[in-house]
Order: sequence, then C-alpha cells, then structure tokens
Amino acid sequence: MNTLRQRMIPYWLLAPGLIWLALFFVLPMYFMGELSLKTGSLAEGYQLTWATANYTDAISEYSEQFIRAFYYAGTATIICLLIGYPLAYAIAFKAGRWKNLLLFAVIAPFFTTYLIRTIAWKTILQDSSPVVEFLKFVHLVPQDGRVLATSGAVIAGLTYNFLPFMVLPLYASLDRLDLRLLEASKDLYASTRTTFFKVTVPLTMPGIIAGILLTFIPSAGDYINSTFLGGTNQAMIGNVIQSKYLVINDYPTAAALSFTLLVIILLALLAYIKFAGTEALMGEDEEPA
Amino acid sequence: MKAWTWIREHAVLIVGLLVIFYMLAPIAVIALFSFNDPVGRFNFEWSGFTTQYWQDPFAVQALTDSLMVSIRLAFLTSIGATILGTLVAIALVRYQFFGRRAANLLIVIPMATPEVVIGASLLSMFLVYGAKLGFTTLLIAHIMFSISFVVVVVRSRLIGFDRRLEEASADLGASAVTTFRTVTLPLIAPGVASAAMLSFALSIDDFVISNFNAGSEVTFPLYIFGANQRGIPVEVNVIATMLFTVTVAAMLAVIFQQKRAEKLAERRADEEAEAVPA
Amino acid sequence: MTITPNTKNMKLLLLAALALVASMALVACGGGGGIDEASNNDDIGVAEGGDPTGNLNISNWPLYIDGKTISQFDKETGTSTKYTEDVNDNNEFFGKVQPLLSQGASGGRSIIVVTDWMAEKMYKLGFIQEIDHDKLTTVFDNLIPSLESPEFDPERKFSVPWQSGLTGLVIRKDLAPDVKSVNDLFDPKYKGKVTMLSEMRDTVPLVMAADGVDVTNASTQDWLDAIDKLQGAVDDGQIRQFTGNNYVQDLAKGDVVATIGWSGDAVQAKADNKNIEYRQPAEGCSIWSDNMLIPVGAPNPAAAYEFMNYVYEPENQAQIEQYVNYVSPVKGTKEVLLKQDPGLANNDLIFPSEEFTANCFNQVSPPGDEAEVTKVEEAFQNVVTG
Repeated sequence: MNTLRQRMIPYWLLAPGLIWLALFFVLPMYFMGELSLKTGSLAEGYQLTWATANYTDAISEYSEQFIRAFYYAGTATIICLLIGYPLAYAIAFKAGRWKNLLLFAVIAPFFTTYLIRTIAWKTILQDSSPVVEFLKFVHLVPQDGRVLATSGAVIAGLTYNFLPFMVLPLYASLDRLDLRLLEASKDLYASTRTTFFKVTVPLTMPGIIAGILLTFIPSAGDYINSTFLGGTNQAMIGNVIQSKYLVINDYPTAAALSFTLLVIILLALLAYIKFAGTEALMGEDEEPA
Repeated sequence: MKAWTWIREHAVLIVGLLVIFYMLAPIAVIALFSFNDPVGRFNFEWSGFTTQYWQDPFAVQALTDSLMVSIRLAFLTSIGATILGTLVAIALVRYQFFGRRAANLLIVIPMATPEVVIGASLLSMFLVYGAKLGFTTLLIAHIMFSISFVVVVVRSRLIGFDRRLEEASADLGASAVTTFRTVTLPLIAPGVASAAMLSFALSIDDFVISNFNAGSEVTFPLYIFGANQRGIPVEVNVIATMLFTVTVAAMLAVIFQQKRAEKLAERRADEEAEAVPA
Repeated sequence: MTITPNTKNMKLLLLAALALVASMALVACGGGGGIDEASNNDDIGVAEGGDPTGNLNISNWPLYIDGKTISQFDKETGTSTKYTEDVNDNNEFFGKVQPLLSQGASGGRSIIVVTDWMAEKMYKLGFIQEIDHDKLTTVFDNLIPSLESPEFDPERKFSVPWQSGLTGLVIRKDLAPDVKSVNDLFDPKYKGKVTMLSEMRDTVPLVMAADGVDVTNASTQDWLDAIDKLQGAVDDGQIRQFTGNNYVQDLAKGDVVATIGWSGDAVQAKADNKNIEYRQPAEGCSIWSDNMLIPVGAPNPAAAYEFMNYVYEPENQAQIEQYVNYVSPVKGTKEVLLKQDPGLANNDLIFPSEEFTANCFNQVSPPGDEAEVTKVEEAFQNVVTG
C-alpha cells in the first residue's frame, strides 16, 4: 500500500520541526559565518570583505582563552566521570529502595535557576566561609590563599553544574546491563576488578561516551561559572565571545571566535558519530517496526 | 577491621549521603538565605532571621515583571516545541524513509552545540536582518533549542509503545483518527507531557541564549544577572525556593500517582485472575 | 498494518504548524536594514509630541531610584510609567539599542540614562533628540552651576543630568588603612585583594593620574602604557578582578580590601559594612555624570519632560538622594535634606565642596579618531577579560 501519499506522510510530519531548525539553527550558522568575514563598525556598517584575517587575528589573540576553556572543561569532565561512575553504579545496583531518592538528588539542582545555584557557590566558597576555613585546615588551600577567583573554583562550578549530565547517561547504561553477564564473569573466576574493567566498562562504553560529550561540550562554551566564580585570569572563550558581541560590539571577531569553537566541537562530535552511529547518540538500538 | 567492614557494607549509604549533601548544598544555602534579613543590599552574610520576604515575595516590581515574562515565554515555548517535536518524533520512530539519518543528525546536533554558539549565531542572523530583538526573538530561540529535547523524550515513549494495541483497535473497527485519539494519544500522553514540562523547565532556566537574543526584554535569569551587580534582592531567593518546592512537589505527585495506578492495576489483575477460572 | 493518522486532519495540523513557522520568520524580520548599513539619522530635531498623561518608558541603571518616586510621579501627573533597570554597562546598553536607534526606533523608550561619553557618542551618531528648554524650566532653574556647561554638551542641547558621581578609592579602612593613592593598589601586600572597575574611562585615567600624567592631555600612548601596567598587575595576580558594580559585595566580605570604585556605592555600602569608606586619591578623582536623554523614536517626549521637571524639584530629589547617595545635580536639595537627614546633607560625597574635589578632573576619553579610541578600548578589554 505504498502510495505516494503514504510515503509523503513522514515528510509532512517532519516538515514544521525540521524547517524551524533549519531556519533558526542552521541558517544562523551561515549568517554567523558570513558576519565573521566582514569588516566595519556599528557606525559605518559592515561589508563582506572575505576578511579571513578576522580568524587568524582572533585565534592568535585569544588562543589562551580557548586552551583554558578546553582545559577547564576537560578537567571538569574527568572529575565528573570519576565521581559520576561510582555514583551511577551505586544507584543502579546497590541502592535498592533509595534508588529514586538518589536519582532525584542528582537532578534536584536543575530545579533551581542555573545562575542562582552558581551564585550560591559563591556564598559557600567566599573567603570567610566555614568551608574555606576547613579546606585551609586540611591544607588543601594555602593559608593565605582563597578559593574564589581561581581556576579551582571555576572547575568546581563546572563539575557541579554538569555532573547530572554525566550521571544520567551512565546510569541509563548501567541500568540496562544484564547482571547475568557479571555473574558469568565471576563464575569464570574473574576478580571484581577484572570483571569491572573487562566486562562492565566496555559494556557501558556508550553511556560513558555520551556522558563525556554531554559534559564536555557545554562546559567548553560556558561563561557563567567563570563570571561568578573566577577572576580576571580565568576567562574562558565563552567570556570573550560574550564580551565581543554584547559589550564591545565587535561582531566580526566575535563571530569568528564562535564559529571556530563550533567547528572544533563539531569535529569531535562527528568523530564520535563515525564511531558509534547517530542511533547510538539518540540511544536507539532498534529500527522502526 | 570491623570499621572497614562496616564502611564497605554501608558504602552505598555513605556515598549516597555525600552526594545528596553535595548536590543539595547550594539549594539549602539559597533557601536558608531567603530567611535572612540582610543589613545592606547584599545577601551573603547571615544577619538575622525573618519571614518578611516570604510574606511579600513579589514586592520588587522589576523582578516580578521578569518572572512573568519568563513564565509566559516558557509556556508558549513548551506548546510550540512539544507540537513540533512530537510530530518529528512520530516520523522518526514510525517511518522508514530516505533522509532519516540526516533528520536524526539535525535533531541531535543542537543538543551538542554549546549554548554560546547557538545564541551568538541567532544574534548574528537577527542583526543582519535588522530584526527587533525582544519577546518574539526569544520565543523563536527557545522553541528552537527545545525541539531536540522533546523529540528525545517522546521518542523513547513511542519506542516502548505496544503496537498491537493500535492494531487491536483497528481490528475492532475504529477509524484511524479514533484510534489515534483514544488509544495512541492517551498512551503516549505521559511522554508528551514530560516533554512539555522539560521544555518549560529549559526555557525558564535559560540564560545564555536569552542573554544574546533578548534585546530589551528581561527574563528571570537575565534579571538575576543584572541584579547581581548591585545586590540580589532576598525575594529572588524566595522565588527560587518556591520554584524548587513546586517542581519537587509536582514530581512527587507524579511518582505517587504512578505508584497508585500501578497498585490499582495490580489489584485489578489479581481480581481478574481469581475470577477467571470458572 | 500500521495505523497512520488521518491524512486530511494531519495535513491541516501541519499546514497550521508551517504557517506558524512562516509568520514567526516574518515577524522577526520586522526591521529591514540591519547592521550591514551605516547608521545615521540626519535630521535630529527637538523632541516634541506625546501625551503627558500617557505611557512613559524609562531605561536606567539599577538602584538609581528609590521605591516611591515613580508611583508618586504617576499619581501626581496621571502618567503610567514603566521604569526598567536595563542599563548595566554603557557599551552593553549601546549594543542592545543600537540596532533600533539606527532605524529611528527606541523600543518604546522615551528616556534613557547613560554616562557622558556614551551620551556624546550616541548624539554624534544621530540617535538622540534635542531637548526643548522651554518645556524644562524647572530643570534649568535648578541645575547646579558646575553641571550647566559640560564639555560634551556645552549648551545642554540634548542631555539632562540624572546623577553625578566621583570615581576614586573605595576601601576597607580596617584592613587597608594606609591606602591613599591608586598606586597603593599595586602594593604587593594587597596582592589578590584589589579590584578595579571594568569601565575603562574610570580606571585608566586614575592609573595615569597616579603616575603623574596630565589626563586631560594624555596621548594614546599614555593610555596604552597605563593599560600595560594593568596587564602586568593582572598577570602576577595583584588585581583579583575587574568589576562592574559588584565590587561592593567583595569589599563587604573582606575578600577584597581596596578598590577603584564609585562614591555613591561607598555611602550605600556603609550599611553593609561600616568599615567601607571612600578615599579621595591624592592625585584626584574622576567626576562623571549619568544623563537623561530622549532617544529618536521616543513615543512620549511630553511625559519625559514632565518626569525631568519632577525629579528636579528639590523635595523629590531629596527623596531620591536618600536612597541613591550620589551627587545631586539639583540646587536646593541640600537644604531639604538638612531637615530630614543632616548626616547625608553634610556628606562630602553627596554635596562635594570645592576643596574636596580640588584635584578632580572630569571623566576623559582616549584621544583621537574612532580607530584610535577603538585601539585603546580593545587593549583594555583584553586586560579585563584576561
């Protein structure tokens, strides 16, 4: 019964949503790219001059912020993985009736505004707070040092804000794990450690990768944490982009920086898609019925 | 040795408590400081307990206005995104067609793009067109980034959907529309509802994309960002705590409702099982 | 057999969705023009028209007005005023409104408040209308002499001061008692406990003045040298941060002990921590004012004039002053305050005496044409964003 009409149905269904995305996600990228190659000013207007110099100038001038952004995002992602995996494991296998409560605790922060909970960290980490006193006491922080306005604070903020993005995919992956495989491994005399590294981790790799991507990518472009918790030396590339667009109004440079960030991230993403396929990204394993 | 065993046995509890503490600490601080009576403009040092801000949380006009804007925006966003996203989800799950992979990609990529890039690119387009930045541009942006999330949520609900129910309905003579209305829709409704709630939440919380595309419109997060410079009024803490409590209560209500429905279903199944052997 | 939704109904729904998409796209592109074109409005006339009892939209900086003035103004004149605190930074605000103003629209605003140099920049771009002195008798009767003829608008053709202020040192007198000059902020013993303002025209001239440069005649190189000095201080961790208005928070907490800051903040902040005080730098301070302007496309200049006249009545100004604590541009305010709050009335920071501001200079901008100015602005911005 494959009439043309029948075959057109999926396209009709897709049309509004995809057109919206095409108009307001894809098309703006083109405009941003075009803007990045223009020169001019607000007063005089902008002309397309194919100024690739915008890119080379911007990247060389702000390479420090790029590197810093990837460094902070990378560190935060690794910490999230180190905290998140045991946590997800505990929730999936050992929590029993506390499972939902723990899951809830992990996503609870989402129910307050991103800005407010970051500002709350500012209160918690201020120089005179009990937390910082304690950290000084255990010598994690030097006696004359501080926590706020340091890289540590920014990384801590990123870790906190993006931990749920790591835990949830990990949990989803662990939850689907067939426990009998672990049992089988034990039956074959594998130690707990071997079981973990040779069975559990490989089987949950999709979750791990999803978690890493979902944590790293937004962190790399973030500027809220460095605005509130960082000082002048903690500016990330997101801060520069925001400043160039909204404060200095130097649109071509801003667009060039933003486009560069996009390309770097897309390359990483496409590499993953090649590895796992788009279905894995969406978490679907099956074809439609 | 005993201590070590105790720790091992209660490892989960310990880890769990630590995590709960870590995740909820800022929220507790926010709630705590909503009862503070600050001496000056800044609300970060405890100087006295008061419930006055709870009694009149909407006293700051600019704050209330921004909250209204955010709620209106979130509401419209969730309607728009849910409609557009559900249609896409149905197409992606139910149909095999040329370009499915590409469509999949188009849906996924926005979720994986840093917000700063999305916001900046939209702004670039609006600037070149000379579009008036304001509520409309915000709505466009918010619907845009919500669609992908709606698709993911509704998708997962659709995948777990037992097709045979629809087939049974058709076999019993129901038209396609009736089946969709009375069988499909109610069954995917929870998924659609969660997607709607998710996009509502994402919209209310959005800062970065709104920062770039709001023009002169002030949403709740944008208000907080501006107010941070000169002292965030205690009312903000009150409202944030209220939002948190309402969301938690809603979630708990949903979970409770689900548990009840499950219990009822179980009981009914038991009764029927007993009634059958006749 | 798979159930497909009834195609006819589906089609209608989808068409509706498509229409929604299309209409959104159209509405968004309401302007036409955009940044590709140069912005220039050639004939700026005198602002007129509007209904004095209609709607009035004002855009101002945060915490620049008390809680009662607006409603009292509305009650007295029958106007409906919407007061929005959406000016957080001069450049940021400029970026926000420039697309509108370049097409002759103001987004509904009839009054905007920006600092002198931004007012000048906007006027030169043709974004600001001229004001009718005949309609502003109260204003010009009561304007204090020192603000009658500023360099950027000698005949007060387009600007009416809202508040004035001093930029100098704001410190914790218990934690940094011996700070007397901006150069003391570079003292290693305050390393990591110093902040400066992210507003370039506040910070850099003070740094130059502390090194003996004559700021009113400084060259571009002088500015760049001062900016280099700041970069050095940032690199070795001397300066914790460049702030907007939020340095007061850190001062109150003691995370920061000495800053470049604004006089009004120092007065207000005493409530947060009584050890916060303003200190006049030995080399002088920077005096600036924020000005009410009527932008092009303002829907209600008549109500705007009413408002300006209203806040220039000494009683109304006194009420504002008690909250805002900056330098009042209105004659007679001091006398009113003497009766209500003598402490405030005798405060040098609100009614500065000649000797208090003897060394002070009016806020300056980098010299040269737009390209030169941009060079300096970018250099400074690079320091600020690290």
